[in-house]
Parts: sequence; structure tokens; C-alpha cells
Amino acid sequence: MKKLYGFFIDTEKCIGCFTCAMACKNQYHQPETVIWRQVYPISEEIYPYLERAFYSLACNHCENPTCLNVCPVKAYYKREDGVVVHEQEKCIGCGNCIRSCPYGAPRYNPEQKKAEKCSFCWQRIDAGLKPQCVQSCPVEALQIIDLETFDRPDAVQYPPGFPKQPKLNPSVRFVLPRLPKVIGREDI
Amino acid sequence: MSNIEMPLVLFSVLSQTAVGLVIINAGRNWAAEGPVGISRSQWGIVLAFLITGMIASFFHLGHPLQAFTTLKHLSKAWLSWELLGITLFLCLALIGFFTGKDKKKSPVVFLAALVGLLTLVFMGMTYAPPGYPALNNALPLVFFLLTALLLGTSFSAWFTPAEKRPLLFRILTVSLIVGLVVYLLVPCIWLSGGTVTMQTAWSWLSSPLYWGRVGIGLLLPLILLWRLKDIPLWLPVIILIGELLGRAAFFKETVHAAANIGGLY
Repeated sequence: MKKLYGFFIDTEKCIGCFTCAMACKNQYHQPETVIWRQVYPISEEIYPYLERAFYSLACNHCENPTCLNVCPVKAYYKREDGVVVHEQEKCIGCGNCIRSCPYGAPRYNPEQKKAEKCSFCWQRIDAGLKPQCVQSCPVEALQIIDLETFDRPDAVQYPPGFPKQPKLNPSVRFVLPRLPKVIGREDI
Repeated sequence: MSNIEMPLVLFSVLSQTAVGLVIINAGRNWAAEGPVGISRSQWGIVLAFLITGMIASFFHLGHPLQAFTTLKHLSKAWLSWELLGITLFLCLALIGFFTGKDKKKSPVVFLAALVGLLTLVFMGMTYAPPGYPALNNALPLVFFLLTALLLGTSFSAWFTPAEKRPLLFRILTVSLIVGLVVYLLVPCIWLSGGTVTMQTAWSWLSSPLYWGRVGIGLLLPLILLWRLKDIPLWLPVIILIGELLGRAAFFKETVHAAANIGGLY
């Protein structure tokens, strides 16, 4: 059965250490301003506790990717396993994908004057390895999943603080952070 | 959008001016009787706006020499259609220029107006991406149609004898009033939207570019028209400045959906 890869982010486990983002940088050595994976703190309006929670996000490799649809030079293609690949040699740096993606995944590389984004480390996937960000996560908060078989009842696709785009159908699932145990005077 | 994107500002406003000029002239040709086709000098100014805008657009690309490859994705990408439309429009304007020696009605002006109108639709779709919730709708098309109408009408005054300007005067006055209402209402409507749309509204309302667009591009021309009862030859330049400011606000002040990841939407 063919696979349909996606990212799984367990925000209950994520400690916001940025190791995933650093591992991505170490793997691809992008220029300073180019970030493929970013760790976003969840705002206090959503998670109003002293303990913080985070979303580690990169390209969501959507089922119907807007970057692929708007690219005038066909620099994007989607693999059978769901990974959306950007072919940089075809890119002319028009920035249309950067403006269009609601998740801000494609970024402009000012040195190459082209767009680029997370590749899901497809070369590593093809070699039977995990993406570098997943490999590096010290608490296993970031994982890859096969959406064809993924069946975790507590996972959601659109948690608060993540743009809801059903037409794009991002290949990412989240587990929300649990509420911290509040110890009141009566508990002591 | 984080920067002004000046090449896109110039390209979109100047190409829409060219389209507006042709549409207004096509309308006048259709309504009038006898040989009133548009002259070579009018095609010349259309070409001047269009070619200046197209040259500006190349500065927006990282690799401008490969701009021709943007026609590759006509099956899905509106940007490919936009480029196709603008190229066809340029070809028709060139045909009009080289065949427009005498003022007789020519099908080229009607064809160019139709292609120009379709190009405005393609532009409206290109600049309505999911990344910008406030613009992910018909508003870009409305803005672009208004630009074409305002600048097309006002620049047409350059080629219209004084005794025939009252119709243009009325069209321009009504267009300015409609533009003023639209530009004042849109941010107010955005205020009732989601978080990012609301952030866009506040970003526009606190921007000198937006108020410059409203003041210089809409209010001032309205007051001048009211006082002068005619379209002075320098008025289109004032309206053009207002449009450029407004388009700069469109690109610079609109907030991207990703700007609020982690916050409430």
C-alpha cells in the first residue's frame, strides 16, 4: 500500500528547544534569513498558563498545495508519497508561492534569488532514514506519520493558532497540550 | 506583505492604466457615430504605460531572463494567464499603433479592450491568494477595476477636445465617489473579520500610504473637479500618484496569515 507522509507534532511533549530547527539548518546550511522549520510559541490567549507550549512547523506538504498551483513555471511537484518538492533550478524567483502559502513555508533565498522550502528530506526518506528534524527531536515530539494508516483519536488537523485551510488539506496532525494540573489550597 | 514591492506597484498600476485607456476609448468608439477611432498618439501613450510597467515587473523577478517560462503553467496558475493576457494586450496595442493612422473604427480597439478586461480578471485572481485572508476574495479585482476606470478616464481627457469632456467629467466624478466609498468602507468591513483580517484593517488605517491614497488620489481630485468643473490636463498625474500610493499600501500593509501562527485566528 502506498504511503502518504505527514508531520505529527505532539505539543504535549514539545519543550520548544529549537533542536529541530537547528538540525534543519545544519543539514541544509540555508542563509541566515531562510528558515524552513520554525518553532512558534502558542499565545497566552490559547494556552494561558505559566508553562509554555509550541508548534514546530515547516512545510505541511498539503494534499492540494497552493504553492504548486500558483507557481507559473511548474517548479513544484508532488510525489506519490505526498511530499511536495520544489525544483530550484526551475524557479525564477517571482515570489508567488511565498505570497500564496498561508503557512509561510516557502521562503526567499536572497543569495540564489529563488524560493525554497522544506523538502521533507526526501533523499533521506528514500534512503530509509527519518527527516533530520524528526531524527533530532530529543523528546520525540516531532514525528513522521503515514496518513493512510494514522489513527490517533486525540490528534487534530487544525488546532487553535494554526490557519484552517480545508481546501489545501495540510498533511500535519497535532496533539494539543494538556492543561497543567493546578494545585489549589484545598489540595494541600 | 512586508515590503512595498515597487516593481509590482508600477507594473500593476501602469498596465491597468493602459487597459483602462483602451476600455474607455472602446466604449466611446462604440457609442459614437462616424470615424472616431482612437489615434496613433493614444495607442502611443497606451504602449508607453504598458511597456514601462512591463519593464518594471522584470525587476521583481530573481531571474528576469527566464520570465518567458511563466507561460508554462496555464492549466492552474493565474499568474501564467496574467502574463498571457498582458502579452496579447501588448501585441494588440502594437497592431493598433502601427495601423492607427486614420481615425476610423477598428476592431483592434474592441478586441484589445476585451483582452484587457480579461487580464484585469487574471490579475485579480493572481493577487487574491490564501496567504492574505483580507484579499482572498474579489477585492483585488475591484481595486484593479477602479484603477483602470479612474486612470483610463482621466488620461483620456488628454485626447478629448474640451467640448466633449463633460461626459468624461461625469464618468470620472462618479468613479472617484465610488472609489472613495469603496476605499473607506473596505477597512471598516475588515475590522469585523478574523484576527489577521482585523490586523490588516488596522495596518491600513494607520498607514500614511492608505491615507495618501484616499486624500491625494480620491478626495483632492474630487474637490478639484468640483471647483474647476472640468478635467485639467495635470489632474491625471495627481490621480496616478494616489493610485501608486494605494497600490503600495496594498502590498505593504496587508498582513500575511502566517504572521499570526500561534495566536488566535
